[in-house]
Amino acid sequence: MKLFRILLITCFVSLMSLLITTKAWAFCGFYVAKADAKLYNQASQVAIARNGNRTVLTMANDYQGEVKDFAIVVPVPVVLQENQVQISDSKIVERLDAFSAPRLVEYFDPDPCAQIWQTEDSLRAPSAASAQRAAPQQSNGALGVTVESQFTVGEYDIVILSARESGGLETWLTQNGYRIPQGARQLLQPYIRQRLKFFVAKVNLEEYETSGYQSLRPIQIRYESPRFMLPIRLGMVNAQSAQDLIVYILSPQGQAEVTNYRTVKVPSDAEVPLYVKEEFSDFYKSLFATVYSREGKNVAFVEYAWDMAGCDPCSAEPLTPDELRQAGAFWVTPETPQNVFLTRLHVRYTRDRFPEDLVFQQTNNRESFQGRYILRHPFTGESTCSAGEDYQRSLSRIFEQQAQTLARLTGWQIQEIREKLPQVQSHFIPWWRRLVQALFG
Amino acid sequence: MLSNDARLYQILFLSLFLGVGIVARDWSLQPVMIGALIATCCCVQWSAAIQISAPFIQSLPSALVTSLGLSLLLRADHVVTLMLAGTLAILSKFCLRVQDKHIFNPGNFGIVAVLTFTQDAWVSPGQWGEEGWYVLLFLSAGGLVLGRIGRWDTSIAFLASYAGLEAARNFWLGWTWDVWTHRMMSGSLLVFALFMITDPRTVPNARIARIIWAGAIALLTFYLRNFWFISTAPFWALFSLAPLTILLDRVFLGDRFIWHKSWHKSSSELVKTDVANELLSVS
Repeated sequence: MKLFRILLITCFVSLMSLLITTKAWAFCGFYVAKADAKLYNQASQVAIARNGNRTVLTMANDYQGEVKDFAIVVPVPVVLQENQVQISDSKIVERLDAFSAPRLVEYFDPDPCAQIWQTEDSLRAPSAASAQRAAPQQSNGALGVTVESQFTVGEYDIVILSARESGGLETWLTQNGYRIPQGARQLLQPYIRQRLKFFVAKVNLEEYETSGYQSLRPIQIRYESPRFMLPIRLGMVNAQSAQDLIVYILSPQGQAEVTNYRTVKVPSDAEVPLYVKEEFSDFYKSLFATVYSREGKNVAFVEYAWDMAGCDPCSAEPLTPDELRQAGAFWVTPETPQNVFLTRLHVRYTRDRFPEDLVFQQTNNRESFQGRYILRHPFTGESTCSAGEDYQRSLSRIFEQQAQTLARLTGWQIQEIREKLPQVQSHFIPWWRRLVQALFG
Repeated sequence: MLSNDARLYQILFLSLFLGVGIVARDWSLQPVMIGALIATCCCVQWSAAIQISAPFIQSLPSALVTSLGLSLLLRADHVVTLMLAGTLAILSKFCLRVQDKHIFNPGNFGIVAVLTFTQDAWVSPGQWGEEGWYVLLFLSAGGLVLGRIGRWDTSIAFLASYAGLEAARNFWLGWTWDVWTHRMMSGSLLVFALFMITDPRTVPNARIARIIWAGAIALLTFYLRNFWFISTAPFWALFSLAPLTILLDRVFLGDRFIWHKSWHKSSSELVKTDVANELLSVS
């Protein structure tokens, strides 16, 4: 029994997604906006809270098109009933994002002549189908499609379908006003044959207008299944360029990782020139693009992994127990100690480098990690000792090292970086000059 | 002669993989953990050798192979967990035996034991990625070792069976063939097929039995991975089916493998076993 339990714990939940609209737009292709910078052109955000086989999956949605055109088809491992689907608050995903985003930290060099060396560090916040209204659709035996359940949650009309073959499912979706992107039909078949169900959602305009919300809220689904998988194949049906996917995995155990691709940490703890503070978004985009190419464009990157009970430094306030529960961490209660380990995975995928859907596993790895980049402010006061002289001399070497680090991380031109470096001005006053000043004023 | 021992090649290649993993694959392995694992395996091997009054030096390569294999595959937050895995792996060679043969592959036993009994260990199946360069490296190194041991049939039977099953599934589901290629190019799968399942001291003696045995492991791996969704399926499959060797050895007669004679004796020769040596020679 023990063996079986262990085996089950390492099993997975499968989920996959497909957007069916006139545009080449797919789930796992949402645009993510964060803080003051929209880092990625096409990005999806998914939060998965998982304990054992019980899973709560939140699909963040920053859909920018016409609301009436919004529609998704997400294969799910089990038939979902109304009480397994709910609408989540967009702020929860934003909180997860802000809390786990790669961050800049600042340090200030102390006076090299001071007897007591005090460090002051402070944290800078990280810049850090047209689906027509479907007519009520009955199960169609001829098409091999069965409507397992049908309900409205928040601003979404939701249908859970099962299908026997992809042609029938395609016909059903077409008859009900969804337009399938070319090439999607072949991709539906493997999921049908794995006996997955299809979660189909579109916007109920009446509900949307009365809700008063300006944008579509995340959909959150709950289910129990050994499959622990996130689909990316269908999202790539018509994708012309790489898509970014950010997955937040909340676990009572430890770090999560991808089992069928490599999981790699983003470069971290690098000291970079001060001017990066003004262009942190560009810096991180370039850094990510560089490391993505260097690693062969087929790996998943860990950007953050930390027990939610703490953070050092914190880029945002840690999520409260209530917020964690809203994010899906159902095992968190006010009475029990907070036990949530957050892993932020960033996957940039293309059809040629990611042929298979992502499969995850939770591990017992409790090692903390964060994408963290350091600004080091030099001491600018006057130095009156030999240590100060040494310090001033060392600055040009430190700046050069920072420039080289930045060039290596981002692929930026070293010459352009050097031009932006601060000029080293010696504040060292030789003893004889101090003597002259003392004597003659 | 020890210098002709195929285990020395194994040690060389496993060390090479470990070095490549640390340098080029972003593994966060700590030298102190590897050192502790090696020291533990050697100490336990030494203690056990004393208990049965057997020479330690001849069995040292086995302890090193086990510890390097565990370092490659197993991860844990605490060094004690790795030491426990090493201890159990070595002890399994001495305690779990039938007819002077190990029931379980030591490394596999250590991994399964700590995965089951601790809350600290894990295996990362995706750690190698799927690059062609590594496939070639593993195949070449595995080929050299297996050529000396004369147990190529086990790897071929496992890989061919598994590839066939995955191909059939791929065809039935209607996936494009790059899905199948991606699955088969997994570095972890190849390391398992070439360096773990082939341990000559735990595989059946007769060739036909080895082929049946490897095929059964491939089938169970396929089932656990695709129907139970277990990413570490090969380890559980090998662990579950290792005892089948006892039965197969009774049904199919074949020569028993001895490490230090592997260089001079062909695998088809029936070798008289030296119990004292055989007790120690394990990978």
